[in-house]
Amino acid sequence: MSDRTISVRNVSKFYGEVLGVNRVSVEIEPGLTGLVGPNGSGKSTLMHLLCGLLRPTRGEISVLGVGPDEPERLFRLVGYCTQYDSFPNGATGTGFLSHTLALHGYDRAAADRRAQEILERVGLTGAARRRIAGYSKGMRQRIKLAQAICHDPRVLVLDEPLNGLDPMGRAEIIDLFKELARDDRHVIVSSHILHEVDLISDGVVMIHGGSVVAEGAIRDVRGEITTQPLQVLVRCDLPQAIAARAFELEHVVEARIVEDGAGLLLRTTDAGSFFPALTKIILATGAEVETMTPADENVHAVYDYLIGDTGGAT
Amino acid sequence: MTHPVSSGRVLWQRQATMLARQEIGRSLFSRRSLAVYALAAMPIGLALLRALFLPESQRLHTGHTTTELAQIFHFFFLRFVVFFSTAVLFVKLYRGEILERSLHYHLLAPVRREVLTVGKYLGGLISSVLMLGVTLIATTILFYLPHGAGGFAHLGSGAGLREVFAYLAITALACAAYGGLFLLAGLFFKNPMVPAVVFLGWEVATPFLPGFLKMLSVVHYLGSLEPVPISQGPFALMAQPVPGWLAVLALLLIAAGLIVLAAWKARRLEITYATE
Repeated sequence: MSDRTISVRNVSKFYGEVLGVNRVSVEIEPGLTGLVGPNGSGKSTLMHLLCGLLRPTRGEISVLGVGPDEPERLFRLVGYCTQYDSFPNGATGTGFLSHTLALHGYDRAAADRRAQEILERVGLTGAARRRIAGYSKGMRQRIKLAQAICHDPRVLVLDEPLNGLDPMGRAEIIDLFKELARDDRHVIVSSHILHEVDLISDGVVMIHGGSVVAEGAIRDVRGEITTQPLQVLVRCDLPQAIAARAFELEHVVEARIVEDGAGLLLRTTDAGSFFPALTKIILATGAEVETMTPADENVHAVYDYLIGDTGGAT
Repeated sequence: MTHPVSSGRVLWQRQATMLARQEIGRSLFSRRSLAVYALAAMPIGLALLRALFLPESQRLHTGHTTTELAQIFHFFFLRFVVFFSTAVLFVKLYRGEILERSLHYHLLAPVRREVLTVGKYLGGLISSVLMLGVTLIATTILFYLPHGAGGFAHLGSGAGLREVFAYLAITALACAAYGGLFLLAGLFFKNPMVPAVVFLGWEVATPFLPGFLKMLSVVHYLGSLEPVPISQGPFALMAQPVPGWLAVLALLLIAAGLIVLAAWKARRLEITYATE
């Protein structure tokens, strides 16, 4: 198996008779990947399987060529920030990280030094010597993240890592994810907050009812959904004129002026024919176009098309 | 960044040592140790009461005391204090962290599950031997205290020292064997106290068991190592001791076998806190 990709092949996990994930097959390339799905869809199960906290009922998993049943090799490569909001009794921020680093083979002095660096990176220097039990939800989220990144892993698996963070904290941590995703690293992030996944992800894996319903770059996934008309937002000075002509096209099913009157939203069932035709209309009307962007090439829209309101995502 | 780490056996030793040290800290200084301290206080309290209220006539000679100490050691210390202390300490090595929902941090480190199991076991073993060894020494001193200089002379003599060291060795072997058993129980059972009580019943019933079933009893081997013979009453014939070397070997093999089983189970361990 490739030592550059994360490969999940035909993996199923059952808890007794309850389905966790069913025949999941995905290949995850380096970069930031969003794992999206409603509560109970199997996101955490899939992450646990990747990191060996669960064993697949059947199928094979390889993380950069290493199986999850080889912890000694796997956790040199992988850092996992779980959803569990619990810590060893009495642990302080520094003590918790130093212990983790010592298990990685750092000597005491090196572990303490590295722990300080990481605590600074996640913005917890001031609380380093305090007990984690007294941390706020946001601080606990940061210390979990610190534990996941402290050994500089090539793969980061982050289960709802933005939970409990305030808006400033979210922005800081998202920047950190982006920074980590450089250098050919894999960063896999699960989140309910779709616009945040959209902001940070190079690609998505959508999971519903234990099965993967889509995977890949958002644009590619959107392109494969042929049952939903493509939405294009055109910001221009003559939206009415363009709308009138666009309606004459057979494949345009909707043309709506946006609220501020400075643009229109078009929906088409044939993207291939639509863009040349739209260019002709713009030239014919003499409209000045500011921007022309796909309005539903984002995680939220794709999620809505594939999983819909029944998913329960916020 | 390059890892400042060693690998292979050196790393395993370092990890096992760290894990053992962590468990010793938890066992000696956390709330979980209160029950063990309470158990350990019982024989000391008993010995203290005996020292206070021992009739003058029995303070002259140490012979009676030696026999009483042997009985207390066999029927109370070994079967009750050591048994339940090791149950509390070793069951919690895994189960405690599962209930605390923090075991995943160890499973997410580059530590072989076998090393994790051995490290935890060693931590439990060292803690239990320390706690129960100190208890045993304190109890023994309090038993001989009413005899004054004569008592201390006996303890300092070859025979007295042999007795003390034999009791300490038996305690350590008991911790090793029961520890392995309870470590395994903590991995297999959500409420390991149920199998603990069942096993206690088995241990109590040992004298009535046929020879081949006695081989599955820890107390059978421990009893064979005791330095002072104690009266077994009507069960004396049924409780045939085994040679000392065989008893030690059997106890070490039992402990090793249980640790291997625990490591095997730990390798298959899954984190599903919600169902615990």
